[in-house]
Amino acid sequence: MNHLEAVNQISEYLEKRLGPATRAEMESHLATCPECREMVEDVRQVMERCHMAEPLQPSPWLISRIIHATTGQRKPSWADRLRDSVRPLLQPRVAYGISMAVFSISFILHAANVNIRSLTLRDLNPGTWAYRANSKGHLLVARAEKYYYDLRVVYEIQNRLRELRNDQDEQRPRMQKKDSPGGAQGRSRQSSMELAAIPGFSRFSPNVGVSDVLSAESKRSLPR
Amino acid sequence: MDQDLELLKRCLAGEGAAWEELLRAHTSKVYNLCYRFTGSAPQSEDLTQEVFIKIYQTLKSFDSSQGAFSTWLNRIARNHLVDHYRRTKRDRLTDSIEEKVEKIEQKPSGGRDPMAELESREVRELLQAALALLSPEMREAVILRDLQELDYQEIAQVLGVPEGTVKSRINRGRLELARIIKRMKGMKG
Repeated sequence: MNHLEAVNQISEYLEKRLGPATRAEMESHLATCPECREMVEDVRQVMERCHMAEPLQPSPWLISRIIHATTGQRKPSWADRLRDSVRPLLQPRVAYGISMAVFSISFILHAANVNIRSLTLRDLNPGTWAYRANSKGHLLVARAEKYYYDLRVVYEIQNRLRELRNDQDEQRPRMQKKDSPGGAQGRSRQSSMELAAIPGFSRFSPNVGVSDVLSAESKRSLPR
Repeated sequence: MDQDLELLKRCLAGEGAAWEELLRAHTSKVYNLCYRFTGSAPQSEDLTQEVFIKIYQTLKSFDSSQGAFSTWLNRIARNHLVDHYRRTKRDRLTDSIEEKVEKIEQKPSGGRDPMAELESREVRELLQAALALLSPEMREAVILRDLQELDYQEIAQVLGVPEGTVKSRINRGRLELARIIKRMKGMKG
């Protein structure tokens, strides 16, 4: 078998339509001809590709359209059209897109403080939305800042109290010897002055008597 | 097929339900044939409708001794597609292989979907673009054999040519398709 004959029989060879003798000739030619081997591989891939290609589905209303065009019966009903147009919305990516859009809109409405149940003309103004969202944002930042300072103050108080307890533990023997009545009070006064120096402490707890708290704490921890 | 003949008889007797059943059995095949030729879904739907209008108008002329109903249907569809191809030849003169590769690359990849779907779509698009560049004679032979999965004898009946010619067209068509796909892949990557 020569090269041209082999090329002409590639499809039949791949579809196993050649007789045994011709097939053997083809195979012996392929063993010596790299060009034909490459062509056989290419054609095999094309056939695979064609078999891999899934059949396409026409629109569901095509049959109704043809029936209407041929016999004049059964136009695609509104229900058919509605069902066919809603079907793509049920796909996961569309559902995901819609839910993200709903989430974003509700987030914006919430940030803009818009109540849909009692909507006013002012609520429809984007300027109002921006103003409200801005106010809400500032309020949120202020709350976060206050929370941070509160935490810091509590932490400082706890540290100081721990230090005080340690000092008292160290000085207990001396205290027992001297047994001075103004000693503990003097120390607590000094500690309250130290606490007053903590930044933000007096700002966030102006009405709380820190010295009272501390002296009460000191008294509780002092040996009686 | 016996079932097709039975439906056909009922159609000729004026039974609308039988015509609808016949359409349900064959619309998808005709639509796919049209799509492989044109590469456009709306155009394929129009062509499918036109083919079935022709079928409906010539139902009485069907002769079961000449071959199966599906072969007759394919022949009518194929002739209609050839007519359509001739009518629209001028519109396609500017289509080049580079433009087709560009069109495939420009299509969104659809990140939501599994790899298998993406791969299948890419295969379909590449194949469709490559098919469009084949000569009509080779294209119809390859489509009928590899995509519509007709046997050689049926294809010979549909195309009205000897079986030897069908074999030759299919083989040349596949070789040409392989060359085109190779070139397209080379241009893409």
